[in-house]
Order: sequence, then structure tokens, then C-alpha cells
Amino acid sequence: MIELINLTKKYNDFTAVNNLNLVVEKGEIFGFIGPNGAGKTTTINMMGGVLAPTSGFVMICGINIQNHPKKAKSKIGYIPDRPYLYEKLTGMEFLKFISDLYGVDENNFLYRSREKLRLFSLSEWADDLIESYSHGMKQRLIMAAALLHDPEVIIVDEPMVGLDPLVINMVKSLFKQLAKNGVTIFMSTHTLKVAEDICDRIGIIHKGSLVATGTAEDLKSNIQNKSADLEEIFIKLTEE
Amino acid sequence: MKDVITLLKPRFLSFKNKGLLKNNSGRGYKLALFGFFGILFWGGIFIVSFRVISYFKGIEGFGDILAYKLLSMILLTFFSLLIFSNILTSLSKLYLSRDLSLLNSMPVPIYKIFIARWIESTVDSSWMVIVYTIPVFISYGIVYRAGFIFYGNMFLVILILSVISAGISVVLIMIVVNFVPANRIKNIFIFIGLSFFLILFFAFRFLRPERLVDPEVFSNVLFYLKSLKSPAPLYLPSTWVFDSMKATLSGHIMEGMFHSVLSLSWAGVMVCSAIIISNYYYFNGVSKTQTAQVRLFKYSYSGRRFPIFLPRFCRALMSKEIRTFFRDQTQWSQLFLIAALVVIYVYNFNALPLEKAPIKTIYLQNLLSFLNIGLAGFVLITITARFAYPAVSSEKDAFWLVKSAPIDLKHYLWIKFFVYFLPLFVLTEILIIATNILLKVTFFMMVLSVVDIFLLVPGVVSMGIGFGAAYPDFKSENPAQTVTSFGGLMFMMVCAVYVGAVIIIEAEPVYRLFMANIKGNVLTVFEWVWVLGSFTLVFSLSIAAVMVPMKFGEKRLLKMLI
Repeated sequence: MIELINLTKKYNDFTAVNNLNLVVEKGEIFGFIGPNGAGKTTTINMMGGVLAPTSGFVMICGINIQNHPKKAKSKIGYIPDRPYLYEKLTGMEFLKFISDLYGVDENNFLYRSREKLRLFSLSEWADDLIESYSHGMKQRLIMAAALLHDPEVIIVDEPMVGLDPLVINMVKSLFKQLAKNGVTIFMSTHTLKVAEDICDRIGIIHKGSLVATGTAEDLKSNIQNKSADLEEIFIKLTEE
Repeated sequence: MKDVITLLKPRFLSFKNKGLLKNNSGRGYKLALFGFFGILFWGGIFIVSFRVISYFKGIEGFGDILAYKLLSMILLTFFSLLIFSNILTSLSKLYLSRDLSLLNSMPVPIYKIFIARWIESTVDSSWMVIVYTIPVFISYGIVYRAGFIFYGNMFLVILILSVISAGISVVLIMIVVNFVPANRIKNIFIFIGLSFFLILFFAFRFLRPERLVDPEVFSNVLFYLKSLKSPAPLYLPSTWVFDSMKATLSGHIMEGMFHSVLSLSWAGVMVCSAIIISNYYYFNGVSKTQTAQVRLFKYSYSGRRFPIFLPRFCRALMSKEIRTFFRDQTQWSQLFLIAALVVIYVYNFNALPLEKAPIKTIYLQNLLSFLNIGLAGFVLITITARFAYPAVSSEKDAFWLVKSAPIDLKHYLWIKFFVYFLPLFVLTEILIIATNILLKVTFFMMVLSVVDIFLLVPGVVSMGIGFGAAYPDFKSENPAQTVTSFGGLMFMMVCAVYVGAVIIIEAEPVYRLFMANIKGNVLTVFEWVWVLGSFTLVFSLSIAAVMVPMKFGEKRLLKMLI
């Protein structure tokens, strides 16, 4: 479960995220959408413990990430939008690195890592240096690494960027399956179709504030247009 | 030409817009600091070259021959440096830059992209070499009382030589890139260049130039140099520039102009040839560089645990650090350079003519041993600046992995500390013990040196890691260069003050202890208090030097936006 309580981030005079309050329940897939520069990545970075908030709290499974970062982070699978990795490690070495940091059972490491590599079609590249991987392959490796320690919460920024349609389909099914098993997924995306397909609830952020939350149906009634699709809702709620 | 100027504009604009950044209040201060050191260095080169040239010219009978011989050698070195620097920079600018895909997608002829990039590369690779060799040439003008034409001509021929070097380098690179990938050439070239430099350096050092102080040896050398009247190779552009400078120095203006125009015409030929060749070969080379490098030695994951007695997160971070370090081929040449530095350092102590000194050998040996602690400390600072200081910046954009992982930044920094502390400690102790053995110092001095190094190394390494964490540059393409930034400069200054302070605090007590030991005297109570107080102060200072920078780095890194 994720709780954002009065979460605010300011960069000098600019408020990137303004007093955000949100609860994402266990086993829920929450889609976070908004225009460029609305504060999506800043929110996600604060949730992942990469960025400290100016005020407010992030609670991961009831743990305050500011007060107990190690405990909270060990429950998260964090997937950023840009796949920056250690280029001089091989895919397998990178997974080992992550498994050691997150304390994955050492006896199971080989089995689990091979399973994840197979899932993301990276098996034949396992012993190649990451510097030789394409953008999509790096993105897939980050996903494999994020799932290696069976996280209770997955925080993912633009999960489908750089992935081919087959992998997108696989990731969608995987997220649905994980949510069924009780994993909480917080996902920011610009691909409204993906949000509509897999998210239980959607939040729209604009200029750092949450302007609407709810199921697709809730959002439609919000703009008083039952036949509108998510794109129309998005445009209506974020237009200047 | 309009397209070329447009392609160059982002560079000018990024430079101009640096001033627009928020939180940029320290920029003026940084510029002033760098400017001060730059001018200091420039002035130093001027004073040294002026004195050397004046001295050479003043030698009766063959002063001019020596001075011109030196000028010819300087120009040849200048030309070689330009070629070396141009090859490395043009490889980066023309083939390895991140923005090349964007540039090549634009509706601009390929030769124009080449020209824009080549101009940037030539300026980047030449400006520093030019700025720091100009004081040498100005010294020649002053010593030879040359007229204004010499100085005007000097600037012209230096620029011409830079263009010729850039032309030769880029033509060479455009051809070779078609056979060997650009990144591999860069590494190979750095390695070859460094080896060549080291061979020359070793050859020079083992010739024992200090013997020139001996009048008998010096007169033989002068006689030998006088006999070297063979002209410099005519096919080298540096020879044409030398001829031009020599003629204008001695007042033969027309002859000087002839050689300048000759050089200018060759520069024109090089520019035209490079542009024509670029139209056929440049894009092909860029395309080849885009393909991923093939790994030379590929092996399957072994599951080997390293080192087993440590907690898992320590193992993970240590093995990552060591693997990424040794797989980065640019580090190899640096290790090679350090090995050479150690050999030369130890050899210098072996070659010291202590027996000829007017001071009693035992005093001199031990005095040198004491000063050697400071000297080894400065070698340690240099190596730490190259390896430990960039350690945090070398995470580059992948630093998010550390920030999002369930580990403390404090532990992360301490692991970095130990990775660099162990090899640097061993290296510095080897340096100090080997040189002390060569100096045949007393047991007391040997123990003192070993203990002092034991105290200095953690402090210096901690400052390297701490300042590197406080002022990281995760966007730098070459993290090793981050040491030239404000944080790097701060690190070196604070380290120098720390090492200097340790030496100064210990100087008097060590002298008293040493003399008492030699003469068999007993120290007074006051002297004992002083000795103990000094060593306690050094010990406390060293503890602070370890703890404070690490805390400082951790605090700043925690607040850092990535």
C-alpha cells in the first residue's frame, strides 16, 4: 500500500508537486497521468526515495520512507523512465548486484535471475556488457532487476517507452497478474490506452496538483460526458 | 558558411547560457580562482623560459646555436603535442559525441557537419597548447630584442601550425576509423602515446641530467651540441615555422615571410584535402562507430562470491566498483603511468649524489627522509585526485540505482573509501619504505615515516571521496576530468594544507628526537611534552581529516538532485 500525505516538492520558487494526498491500496494498479512538466517524475522520484520532499510524507506499506529509507526501499521495485545502468557490467552481473543490495536469497539467485531474463527475452544477452544493449533491452533489464526481489510495491515511470508491442503486451499481463497477487503498482504514463487498459484507478496531475482521481467511469462523470474517452478527459482537465 | 555557423551556434549559446543558470552565484569566484592559477602558471613558464634562453644566449661562442636548437626542439614538441591532442579530440568530437545522431539527421551536407565539428575540435585541442607555449616564444622575442613583426608573425605561424596539425590528424583519423572502431583507436592511441612519452621520459631521466651541474660534464655536452649542426627535417611543418621564427628573430623579415607563406599554403592544402576526403569517408566512419563494440573476452557468469567475509551489499558495491574500474580501458593507461611514476620516484633517490654534499651524510639522509614524507604525501594527493576523487562521479547517470537501493549513503561512501584506501596505502608505504632503504635512514626515521603514511593515507583518501561526493558531476563524459572542477581544486588545496601541516607540526619534535638519538642525549620534560603534544595533534588532525570530509560529502550528496 502507498500513501502520499501532503507531499510537496519545491525547487527554489517553483513548486513542482503541491500538497499531494493519495492512497493506493494493496493489489491496486494506479495510473498517474499528466502533461509534460506536471510533476509526475518528481512525485515518482520522491516515492522511490531518490528525491527528498520539501514537506509531507511518503508511506510504503505503512513505513515512512524518509524515516526508514532502507526498510521502505527494500519493499519497492523502482523503474525509472530512462534506463541508465552500469555499462561495464554484464546483464547477469547487474542482476547479481541488485540481488545482493536487496538481499535476494543467494541459493535461489541463479534460478530467479534466469527466470526473469527468460521472461524479458534477455537470456542470450546475459553475459554481454550492458553497453552493447539497445535502449529497449536496457529497459527490459531494469524491469527484470526490479522484480527480482519480489517487491510489494512497484513504482514505474513510463513503463512502455522503448519496448516493442510484444513486450508491452507481456508487461501489461504481468502487471495485472502481480496486482492479482497483491502487489501495489503505481505507474506514470503518457500512453493513455495502457492506463485505460490496466489501471484500476487513474490520477490526473496538472501543475503539481492532483486535479482528478478515480476509475475511468468516475472521471467521465467528473467532466459530465459519459461517452468521452480518457484522451478527451485528459484534454478537458488539463487545458489552460 | 551559414550552415556551418548555425551548427556552431549551440556551442556558443551553451557557453553563454551558463551564466543564466540559477544557483550560479559561485561562478565568478570559481572563474577568478581558475584565472589566478592559470596566470600564475603562465607567468611561471615565462620566467623559466626567459632565464633559460638568456642563459643559453649568453654562452660565449655558441649561445645562438644552443638557443636556436632549443627553439627547434620546442617547436617539434609543440607540433607533436598538437597532433596527439588533435587526434584524441577529433575522435571524440567527430565520432563519439552523443549529439552526432541528431546532427546527421539534419538536412545539411555531410561536409558542412564535418567542418563545424572540425573547427570545434581544432579550437578545443589547440587553445591550451598555444596559450602555454606563447610565453616561451615571447621570451625569445625579448631576449633577442626582436621587433613587432616577430610577434605578429609568431601568432600567425602558431595558428598555421595548429591548423596543419589538425588537418594531418583528422585525415589520418578519417582513414583509420574505416578499419578500426573509433573508441578502440582512442584507447590504443592513448596507450601508444603514453608509452612513447614514458620511453622518452625514462631515457631522459636515466641520462642523469643532474650531472650537467658538474662543469666538466657540461663542457663535454656543449661541445657535443655544438657539433650538432645538421638541419631539422625539411618535410616537417615545424621546421618551416622554425625557419620563419628564426629569420624574423634575426631581422631577416622577407625570408621569414617566405617561410610563413609556405606554411600557410600547406595549411590551405590540408584544409581543402580534409574537406574533400570528409565528403567521401566521414559519414561511413560515423556509421561504423554507431555499431556496438564486440567484447574481446566473453565468459559466462560464474557465481563466484567476492570477497566472502563481507556483508552482501558491501560485496555487491565492491565487486561493481572493481569490475567497472578494470573494464574501463582508459584506466589502464593511467595505471601504467603510475607504475612509471613509482619507478622514477624510487630511482631519483637512488641517483642522489649524497656523498658530494657539504652536509654530513647521516643528517642529510634523515632530513631527506623526513621531507620525503611530505613528497610521498603529494604523490598520494595526485593519485587520489585521479582515482578516488572521481569515484562518485563515475557512477554517472546510474547513480539513481544507489539512491533507490535499500542502502545508506554513508555505507556506500565508506565502501568507496576502502576500495581506494587499500591500494593507495600499499603503494605509498612501498614508496616510502623503498626510498628510506635507499637513503639508509635510521630505524627511528623508518618507523616515523611508516606511521606518518599510515596516518596520512586515510585522511587524503577520505578527502578525495568526501569532496568527490560533495561536488559530483554525474553528467561528465569523462569523470576523471572532474578533478579540474571547483571541488577538485578545493580537494587539492585542503589536502596540500593537511600534508603541509603534518610536516610542520612534526618538524621540530622530530629534529629534537633525532638529535637526542644520534648524540645519546636525554630529552627534557618540556621537550617530551612538546613531542607528545605534537604527535597527539597530528593524530587528532588525521582523525578529523578522515571523519569530517566523509560526513561533508554524505550530507551534500544526500541533498543532491539527480
